[in-house]
Order: sequence, then structure tokens, then C-alpha cells
Amino acid sequence: MVEKRKAADNVSSTEAASKGSKLENKSSSSGAANGASKRIKAHGVQKGAVQSFFAPRKSSAKSDSKPKDEKPKVQIKTENPESSEIKPKPLDDDKDSQNGKIFENTDKKDKVHVATEQKAQKQSPQSSMDIEEDGGEEEKSATKGEGSNGIYIKPEPGIEKATTVKAESTIKNFPKVEIRAPVKPSIKDEKVAPPTPKKIINRASMLKREKSSFQEELEEMEARVPEAKAAKELWSRNPIPDFDPEKDPLIFQQMEIDEYVDISSNSLAVRLYGVTQNGNSVTCFVHGFYPYFYVPAPPQFDEDRIPELIKVLNAQIASENRARGERSAVVNITIVMKESIYGYHGGKKLPFFKIEMRGPSLISIGRSVFTEKGVDVPGVGHYVSQAFESNIEYTLRFMIDHKVVGANWVELPAGKYSKRLNTTSRAQIEVQVYHKDLISHDPATQEWSHVAPLRILSFDIECAGRKGIFPEPKVDPVIQIANMVTIHGSNKPFIRNIFTLNTCAPIIGSQILSYSTEQELLRGWKEFLLMVDPDIVIGYNTTNFDFPYLIERAEALGVNDFPYLGRLSHVKSVLKESRFSSKAYGTREDKVLNMEGRVQFDILQAMRRDYKLRSFSLNAVSAHFLGEQKEDVPHSIITDLQNGTDETRRRLAVYCLKDAYLPQRLADKLMLLVNYMEMARVTGVPFNYLLSRGQQIKVVSQLYRKAIEQDLVIPVMERGAAGGSDEQYEGATVIEPKRGFYNVPIATLDFASLYPSIMMAHNLCYTTLLTKQIAEQLKLVKEVDYEVTPAGDMFVKAERRKGLLPQVLQELLSARKKAKADMKKETDPFKVQVLNGRQLALKISANSVYGFTGATVGRLPCLQISASVTAYGREMIEATKKTVENHYCKANGYEHDAEVIYGDTDSVMVRFGTPILEESMKLGTEAAGFVSNIFVKPIKLEFEKVYFPYLLINKKRYAGLYWTRPEKYDKLDTKGLETVRRDNCPLVPTVVETCLRKMLIDNDVDGAVKYAKETIANLLQNKVDLSQLIITKQLSRTDYSNKQAHVELAERMRRRDAGSAPQLGDRVPYVIIKAARGTPAYERAEDPIYVLENNIPIDTHHYLSNQLTNPLQRIFEPILGNKIESLFAGDHTRSIQMNAPTKGGLMNFVVKTKTCLGCKTPLPKASQDQPVCKHCKPKLPQIYLRNKDTMNAFESQFAKLWTQCQRCQGSLHNDVICGNRDCPIFYMRKKVQKDCNEQAQVMERFDCSW
Amino acid sequence: MLEARLPQAALLKKIVEALKEMVNESNFDCGDSGISMQAMDSAHIAMCSLLLRSEGFEPYRCDRVISLGLSFSSLSKVLKCAGNDDVVTLKAEDDADTLGLMFESPKEERVSQFDLKLMDIDSDHVSIPDQEYDCTVHLSSAEFARICRDLSTFGASVVLDATKEGIKFSASGELGRGGILLKQQGSVDDSSPTSTRIEMREPVSVTLSLKYLNIFTKAAPLSEVVTINMSSEIPVLFQFSIGDIGHIRFYLAPQIQEDD
Repeated sequence: MVEKRKAADNVSSTEAASKGSKLENKSSSSGAANGASKRIKAHGVQKGAVQSFFAPRKSSAKSDSKPKDEKPKVQIKTENPESSEIKPKPLDDDKDSQNGKIFENTDKKDKVHVATEQKAQKQSPQSSMDIEEDGGEEEKSATKGEGSNGIYIKPEPGIEKATTVKAESTIKNFPKVEIRAPVKPSIKDEKVAPPTPKKIINRASMLKREKSSFQEELEEMEARVPEAKAAKELWSRNPIPDFDPEKDPLIFQQMEIDEYVDISSNSLAVRLYGVTQNGNSVTCFVHGFYPYFYVPAPPQFDEDRIPELIKVLNAQIASENRARGERSAVVNITIVMKESIYGYHGGKKLPFFKIEMRGPSLISIGRSVFTEKGVDVPGVGHYVSQAFESNIEYTLRFMIDHKVVGANWVELPAGKYSKRLNTTSRAQIEVQVYHKDLISHDPATQEWSHVAPLRILSFDIECAGRKGIFPEPKVDPVIQIANMVTIHGSNKPFIRNIFTLNTCAPIIGSQILSYSTEQELLRGWKEFLLMVDPDIVIGYNTTNFDFPYLIERAEALGVNDFPYLGRLSHVKSVLKESRFSSKAYGTREDKVLNMEGRVQFDILQAMRRDYKLRSFSLNAVSAHFLGEQKEDVPHSIITDLQNGTDETRRRLAVYCLKDAYLPQRLADKLMLLVNYMEMARVTGVPFNYLLSRGQQIKVVSQLYRKAIEQDLVIPVMERGAAGGSDEQYEGATVIEPKRGFYNVPIATLDFASLYPSIMMAHNLCYTTLLTKQIAEQLKLVKEVDYEVTPAGDMFVKAERRKGLLPQVLQELLSARKKAKADMKKETDPFKVQVLNGRQLALKISANSVYGFTGATVGRLPCLQISASVTAYGREMIEATKKTVENHYCKANGYEHDAEVIYGDTDSVMVRFGTPILEESMKLGTEAAGFVSNIFVKPIKLEFEKVYFPYLLINKKRYAGLYWTRPEKYDKLDTKGLETVRRDNCPLVPTVVETCLRKMLIDNDVDGAVKYAKETIANLLQNKVDLSQLIITKQLSRTDYSNKQAHVELAERMRRRDAGSAPQLGDRVPYVIIKAARGTPAYERAEDPIYVLENNIPIDTHHYLSNQLTNPLQRIFEPILGNKIESLFAGDHTRSIQMNAPTKGGLMNFVVKTKTCLGCKTPLPKASQDQPVCKHCKPKLPQIYLRNKDTMNAFESQFAKLWTQCQRCQGSLHNDVICGNRDCPIFYMRKKVQKDCNEQAQVMERFDCSW
Repeated sequence: MLEARLPQAALLKKIVEALKEMVNESNFDCGDSGISMQAMDSAHIAMCSLLLRSEGFEPYRCDRVISLGLSFSSLSKVLKCAGNDDVVTLKAEDDADTLGLMFESPKEERVSQFDLKLMDIDSDHVSIPDQEYDCTVHLSSAEFARICRDLSTFGASVVLDATKEGIKFSASGELGRGGILLKQQGSVDDSSPTSTRIEMREPVSVTLSLKYLNIFTKAAPLSEVVTINMSSEIPVLFQFSIGDIGHIRFYLAPQIQEDD
């Protein structure tokens, strides 16, 4: 390792580095390198842990100081990573630990400091030095006789050239070979030729100028992880440690489960795919588990006749299923004592047939034989019966029966499993085990709560489309694929590379693999994917764009070996369409690509599920969550960039890399993977269900898991069996709000987890649901044995039978409590994240149980439960109101009469009357405790917050300053106001929020009014930024019966340019433009870009009356009362601006008459070239200065915006090409550019030579 | 300082009624030769221009050119307060922010005074240069208004075909099709002022939006005759004279098949 590091240090020039990276992929293999690469791999295990503690400075510092003092430097390099591994410290401490531990003498210490400073000056070249090196290189260079330790070595141009040539020729070879090849030799040669120091500086300063923040970030990554350079050896996983199935247990975290039916050998297995703690991939075949379902056994059935029954069934199924020739569908039938979950029957268990079938697909045939045709049961006769549990997926059945939950750890005990001889998968370890030997570990325990070092690949592709046409895989080539690979838990990707078609100038911090043909590119990427072997593949819209495109492109190019991307070497990845429909998420059509053993996690889909945003483009989402805009290269330019030089392709590559990196950052920032993994663990569903399935399956999983413990079986409900899907029940109650502006503290009392606690308190469950007949039959007594809910349904009390759902809920809530408690204790920030994800998942799961019982099209609806829950909820809110008002009144010795001014679902707002914040908090806490006592446990009323002041506008619409402590308010909280809605333009929430802030925080109503008026004035004078006026709506289908603005616009845009027109499912941005009177609104919508380009006037009156008026009226009405009209009329509305568009209609025929710059009167023909009319002549100097000021302001604003965009795009030399529609800067820039040009024309009218 | 006295309020009322349908607000440019105004409709398909020569006022005084930003709806409201036979006097100071309107009844027993707040309108000053047209048609403005109203039953646009024989208006739509031909009447000299007369260099055919034409015909009460000036592929000019003191002109861009 020492040698390795030394070699790396020798790279001390940017040039060398860049060449190095260019050539990496082309290098030929060298045997000597193998050993070294192995070492790297071994070392790589700890890398993930180390890298975050690495100061970016450090590594570069080392390399810098080297020329002066070689030996110690070498040592430093070697030691550093280890020292930090042992003793991770924050960045600042790094240097010290380094010095203290490693350096023998203080001189060297000083040098390191010096070097650090130098580094700061020449950032870029230094980071470029961290080009991957290994022992192989080292040896090779030695043989070439070019100085061994990489100290100053004379440049040898000849050699350099030779290498390049060699590289060029190798590039044409089949890339597969190259990939296996260690990277080094060529790079090494390059490195060894350091340019003169002067050159470095020049180059450095140049690069510095050109860098974007993202590029800096890339470089920084490079600097941070000096060992993890862009070497192909790093692609592979850790080698498998020696293990003996007889002696060593195999423990791994399973990430995906699928079923495996081999018809020919009649074998059925479940395959678990996962990763060990060491980072090795595992495929595990679990044999011997057959799917089954239950049918109630006829009471008179004789157990001895089971073999006969099997025969009968088999014969009947065979005749049903002639085509498949299944002769022995039924594996076994046993009689078990079970009870149906639905309804209370006195707790009597009945005999059930448990019918095991040979394959999952036979289950439904088996079921239909019983439910539809009927079976001639021996000794009983023709028998038709309902089936139980036949509609649960085989893999989920397996997980439930073996207590396996999504993404948990499983163990194969020593001696119980074996390696498979004929491996079918690409996993490093392929084993098989009998299902009863599999041990599943509970992720709720401390020991098994961690996460394996999963490999996460984030990628993005670029295609070169044709002008005006969205790229089509049959025609348009894939030109770049950027990849970032991260080990779960580390915060920086350890592999960063980009596959490019044609050459590409080097990008510091990432490896470039160039291919001359697209076929090679695709093959190369596939090899990369298989070597990296990611467990999770993320990206942005990969499901519906990137993957389908790659697959279809490969097909179009005839790269037939491409679509084998899964872990099973023989299974082809095939595209399918799927339609997912859910009440919560709407209907959407997705493409599905099978990649056995890899979880596909499309960040876009997760975003759509979890967040409501105006726009879901990657730009908008990263601007929203990461607070940064990104360059958006318009489709039409991509092709030009690709057909340009290696520099233009580099530009594209940087963009592409960023697109690959952002999904990773989003996932990290929002802790998507952690949260989803915890959700999978808590609810027990496979990880991939979370994105592909709805809420119900999670409850189903929990319900089955609980039911199996109590010998309960779950009936299969026909869809809508509970009385049709249109059945309604009464929802939550809302106490009529007493509208107004309250300048006294309003205390809010909330029921904690209201619906779950009602279900627990009143024992509401399928298993406790009682019918009149049963109640009479069992002679149950009201209020003793059972309870009648306010909705009129009967449920037995917990003393008779504790309900299943209450138990599930109790576990969820206590697990949540525990997770929260653990979270407080936990110090490791990563574990805190996991626990936080866990407690959130638990909360969501608890709340979805109620919804599950009310889902009339669901798996197991039970409206008696959901109706009773809401009935109790209503009762409780009313009771709370009464209790509070009766107790806290002057009659009881309180200073004021308390008043409930509003209440909704699970909260009430109380005005205790006191003007003092502390006092109201005290009363609130007291009242919460007092009221809780009147309810059944565990229902609990909690005092959460005080709103002061509080603006109550209407039902579900209010705003207030939120206080939880008397010292300082927490935030401004709004509900149902335009601040949070997204069906209006951004101007509205901005204005509403600012007004509320002024009113509630600054207590400055006049200021709020003034601000609102100013905004209106600006709007009418067209001074509002266009981005503030853009309305977005989702284009969900095209066949709207009535015309809608965004649909019409999408259609018009399609006619203009099919390529950039919005697709189904996109959110369409538009602005409302002026049109002839009476033109319907849908014809006045226009694409903001088109508006900008053609200077089309905005219908500012529309924005005032249709967008701003109502929201402003709502918030100001409680305060201003009748004076509200003054907001929308008056002097501030009397100054307007009217723009003429640059094209269309009459504009081609008109002549603009110049007007006086002073008084706006038109100038006579003779003096058109004059700036002002003769009356204003005396004021000319003032007028000139005023215009000059305007000009200067525009110019400097434009310059700022332009540089801002150049920074964002990463190059200050090139024109800005970005057309990011989600970026406010884009619109500002365009607008100022236009203003600037116009003002420049005005300036020309002054004869400046005066 | 502007001071302009107009003997008949009815004229001003008709002018405002004629224009307010098309324009919400606009700058009135007052100079020593008179008052003028040009504005485009909000879709920028049509333009109107108003000219009132100083001779039409009694008296008229304007020391320097001033621009008055007026809202037509406000102006219309104020003019409702004036009787048809009232004498109107418009007054504005230089750099004023109000326009004074004084209405005096014919017998001078009632004098009402109103100040209308002005608007600050920042808009481009546009005009369409005068030019030679291939064809000029004079016809009764009432007849023109009726044709436009009738044809709008059939379609959104009308085709004007002017030939030596006459001018034909035709429209078609879901309902069917309709055509109205007005024949050139007799010799130029002996016909009544409202009879149809055509002066042409060559036949012209243009397609126009009926919606706009129906807005233009609001000016029909101002003048018995409307003059249509047409050439292919340039805006069509409709002129309504305001006695001998000025005119209102409407320009309308010909319709092009599907703008995109």
C-alpha cells in the first residue's frame, strides 16, 4: 500500500491527471496489477467509513509537499487513511491527529501546514492529482525506467505520445477486455512527466475560473477519497471470505424476494437476494414451502379420507386446467382448527382444510373449484364454500409464515444450508436451504436494526434527439450514461464515471469511458452494471425513461446481450406496462423492467408519492429540497453539443453527471432509503412493494401476521362485497368556526393518534364485531359483554375478546414510543435517522389501519368499524367542547369564560380568555389532563400549542403564530391557505405569506395592507417577475370533457414543437395572456417561454381578479371588514403598463412612434430622433440621468444573473444555454435581457456626444 | 394647460361608447392641432385611432402637448352625468393628475363639475402609416352593422369580396352559409350619401374576424357612412367620420389560416 500511495503522489500536474483519466479505460491489462488491485479492494471495505472524515485538504496537502520532502510524505499518505479509520475525527482535528501520530519530527508537521495553504490556492490541480494508482503501475513504471518513486522525472514526450496512440487503438477493441484490465500503466506514464511549476499555475487558474460548484464538489470527492480513485477494480465487490457451510452460518440482509417455479423439475422455491455484512451478494434458494389456502371443512368430514379428497381435487383441477397438464396440483391437505377473522362467534374454532398447492398459479384455480363449481368431498357430497387467504401473494405468504419482513436480516445456520453447484445467478454466494431452517431476525431488536453495506447505483442517460422530436429509442442514440455508486451509509459516491460516445475532455473527479460506437457503449455499461452489482438502482424517472430507453435502444441496435441486467444470468430483462390505481396516489401508467435481485427505486416516483410539489422536474425538486438550481440543457442543444468537440461533450458530461448525482443527494437528504427500509421492516412488505403498491398491502401484511398467531383466517372478499363501493358513512366533525382575528392566545388541544386510540379504547375490530343473532345466541349482555357504538354497531368488550386491530395498533404505537425513546438516547446520527424513519413509518402505519377498514374497494372492508371510529371521534370532540366550556368559566372561579372557537377531527381551539401566553399554556395543559380523564384509555387529549395571534378564516382555513414555549414562537402556521396550495401562481403564496407575517409576527396590519397594495401596483405595472405568475397543472389525461387551459396549451405546444411539448403526467406551466375581450380563459394560457420570447403581454387584470383578490380578501376580511375594497382600487391601481408584443396580429404593420422621454407625448415626425419634446428640453439632463440609471441598473442586474447562470452551468467562458423552466433566474435573466435591449435603444436616442 | 369646449356632450358620449368596447384605457394626446388617441385591443389584432381637430372645439386651447391617461369605463361613467345637449369643457393642467369635466346645460342654469383621476399608462405609441389602398368602399354604416350582426350567426369570420359590381360579405359555419351582396349604386354623383360606392384599382378579397367588426360597428351612431379601405394582406381600415371635426379609424389585421 505504501508503494501505491507513493505512486499516486507523483502525479503533480493537472495535465498529467487529465490525460490519465482520459486514458484509463484504454489501458491494457497488466498482470502485475492484479495483486495490487486486490489489495485495494481489501482496503476498500473501510473506505466507506473513512471517507467522510477525510478533510479534502489533507490529501492534497500531502501530495503538494512531496516534491520537497519525498520520504516522509510517502509515509504520511500511507498512514493517513488508517489513522483516520481508527480514530475518526471531525475535519478540523484531522490535521492534528495526523501530525501527532504520524510524524516523527516537527519539521514535517510544518510542511504539511504549508502545503495545506498552498493547496487552498491551487485547488484544482491538486485534486486532479488524486488519480488512481496501484502497485501495478508502480512496477510498470519501474520497468520503463522512469524513476521509481515519482520524484521529479524529466518529461519524455515520446513516451507520452506512444501511450496515447496505444490507447487510441485499444479503444476500438471490445471494451469488455478493457474493463477487466487494471487501469494504471498509461496514466502512470503521463504522471511521470510533470510540467513545469509555472504551467501548473496557469492551468490552475484557468481551471479555477471554469469550475462550477458541482465540479468543485466532484473534485472534492476525489480529494477526500484518495484511495477510491476511478479504478475499475473498485467496481467489483469485496472478495468472498472463506466460509464453510458446515461450520459458518450465513447471515445476510435480504432486499428482494421472488418466486421460482421450475415446471420441468416440478420444483418451487423462493429466492432471497441480499448482501452480507462484508458486502458480498447472496442469492438464497429456499425450498419446500408451498402456497396454500384455507377452506372450512364440512363438519361431518372424516379426516382419514384426506387422500381421497386430494385425488378428487387433483382430478378436478386437472380438468379445469387441461392445457397445463397439471396432474398433481395439490401437494397436501391437512385439517387445522381456525376461526374466521370476520365477526365474533364466541371464540369457537372450527376445522379448516389447509390445502397446499404445487405452485402459486394453481391457488386461484383451487379456490375457484371450491367457491364456484363445488367439490364432491368424499363422505360429504357436493360442497361449495368460501375460501380463505387465497389472494395473498406467494412471496408475501412466505414472508409472513417465516416472520421475514422487508429488508431484514436472515440467517442460514451452519450445517443447514449448502452452496449450489449449478449457479444461476451472478451473486457471489449462491446457496440453498430448507424453508424450516431459515432464521429471520427481528429488525426491532438492537442487534439487527442495522443496514448492510448496500451498493446504490444512481445513473442518468442522455440521448441525442432530433430537433422538435422527443428522443425515440428506435432512432436517436444514447450518447452518455453517468453513474454514481455509493455504499449505503457513506455520504459520497466511491465510483463516479461517465460512459460517453465519442471522446470527452477530462473531468476532474470522475472517470471517463469513451466508446466509438453505441453498441460498445451499451455493452460497456452493462458490464459495468454487472461488475458493480448494485443492490439498489436509483435515478430520476429511470422507471419510465432511462431503463426503457436503454432496453429499446439496445434492441434497435441489435445488442442482444444487453438486456440481462438482473442477478440471474439467464433471465432477460423485459419491459412491461403496468397500471397502478390508488385512491391516494391516483392512476398512473408505468413501465416495469424486471431486474431480479436489484431494487429499482425511482426517486421521481417516491417524490410523487410523498410530496406535493408544483413541479416534479429534477430541477424543481432539487431546488426545493437541496436549495440549488441546476443547469438544464434544452433537448435541442444536446445533439449540437454531442456533435461538437470533446470540450462540448465534456459540458454535456458534467451536466449528465450532475443529473446522476442529484438523485443520490435527494435520497440522502430526505433519507428516502432509510425511511422506506424502515417502512418495509415495520409493515413487513418487500421493499419494492412500497413504490409499486398502495397503502392497503401494508395493513394486509400486518393483519395476516397477527392473524396467524391467533389461528385466525382471513376471508377473501369479493370486490365491493361490503355493500358496494358507493356506500358512505359519516366522516369527522367540524365545529363551526367563530371567524375572526384573535389577538389573544388560542390554545389547541389535540387527541394523540385519535383514530388508532379510539379503536384500541373501544376494542373495534373484525374479530369483535357482533351481530344481533350472535349476541342473542350467546346471551351477551349490553355494556357488560359488548358495547354499542354511536354508529349503532356492536362490538364485544376486550374482556371477552381482545381485538386483533387494537393489538396491531398497540404494538405499532408502543414500538413508536420505543423508537422515539431510543432516538433520544442515540448519539450516532445515522442511527438516529434510522430510528426517526422507523417512528414515522410506525405512525403512518397506525393511521392507515383505519383507512383500510373503510376502503370499500379494499381487501377487507368493514364499514361498521370505520363508521364507529368516526362516530366516536365526533362524540369526543363535542364532549371536549362541552367539558372545557363548562369547567373553565367564571362560575367555577376562573377569570374568564373559555370558549371553543373551532374544532376539527381531532383538535379543538380554545380561547381561555386570558391575554397572557403563559397563562393560556398552563390552562391548556391542565385542560388536556382534565378532559382526558373523561375518556376511555388510551385516548388522550394533549395540549400541543398556542396560536397567538390567530386568524380564523373558515373551516380548515386559518393562520396563526405557533407557540410551544412562552419564550419564542416556533413558526408561522397556516392551514388551507394559499401558502400551501399549488393550484395558483407563486405570487399568491408569496403575498399571502408575507402579509400574514406582517400581520401575525410583526403585528403590523398597516404594513401588510401596504405590502399588498404595492404588490398589486407592481403587478399592474408589469414589474412582477414572470416566474411568479406561472401556474402549473398536471396533464393527467387529454380527454377532458370541458376545455381546460393547460390541456389546450399542451395541444397548441405540440403543434408548435412536439419535442418540447408536455407529455401526459407532466405538470404544464403556463401564464395567462391578454386577449380580445370575451376570449375564454383556456385560450389565454400560454407557454411562459413563448411569452418571454415574443414579448406577449400578460393579463395582469386576470391575475389581480382571479388569483390575488380572493386569497387577499380572505385574510384581510377579518381585520379590515368593509374597508377591504380599498385594497383593490385606489391610487396604487392607477399606474399601469401596457406592452406590445413583438409579433402577431397587427404588430407586423404598425409603426411605433417615439414619444418624449420626459412627458410621454408623441414626438412630431420631424423630431423623431430627439429624446424629448421641446417642452421637456430644459429637463434633458435630468431625464438623461434617470435613463442612464435605469440602464445601469439593468446592465448590472443582467451581468449578475448571467454570471450566476454561468456558474451554475460550470463555465464562465461559454454562453449560457440553460433553459430551465423551473428556475426563477432563468425568467429573470430573460426578462432583464429584454429590458436591457429596450433600454439600450432608448439610450441611443440621446446623442451621447453632447 | 388644456382647455377644450365641445358644444354637444352627445358627441363625446358616442365616441366613448364607440371605443370603450375595444379599449380599456389609453393615453389621449392633446396638442395644439387637436386631441388624438390610438390604442390597440388587448390581443393586438386591431387598432383604433381617434382624431378630434382643434377646429371642432369652441374654443380650443392647448399650450403644450400633454398626455392624459384615461380609463374608458370611468370616462363613460362620468359622461352619464351629462345631458346630451350639455356643453362640455375639458380642462387639464400641465402635469396634472386629474382631468376636469364641466357640463353646462343649454340654458346655462345648471353647471356640473367633475374631476376624473388620471392614470399613468406606460405603453408604446403605435400608429399605422397612411397608405394607398387597392379598393375603397363607402357604404351605410347602419347597413354595415346589420350585415356584421347577421353574419355572425353563421361563423366567426367573414370574407369580403370587392369587385366592380359590388361588395360581397359571406360567412359559413355549422349552421350553414350566408352571403350578402351590396351592389354599386348608379353613378357616383347622383346617389344619396349612404349608397354603396366602390373605387378600386383591382379586386380584393380579405377574411376578417366578425367579433372585431361587431366591436367596430359600435361607432356607427357617429356617422352615416363607413369607409372600408382594403388591400390584400395588409390591415383593413374602417373609417367613421365625426362630422367634420375628426374621425375614428379602426384597423383590423386580416385573418391568416391558423396562426401557428
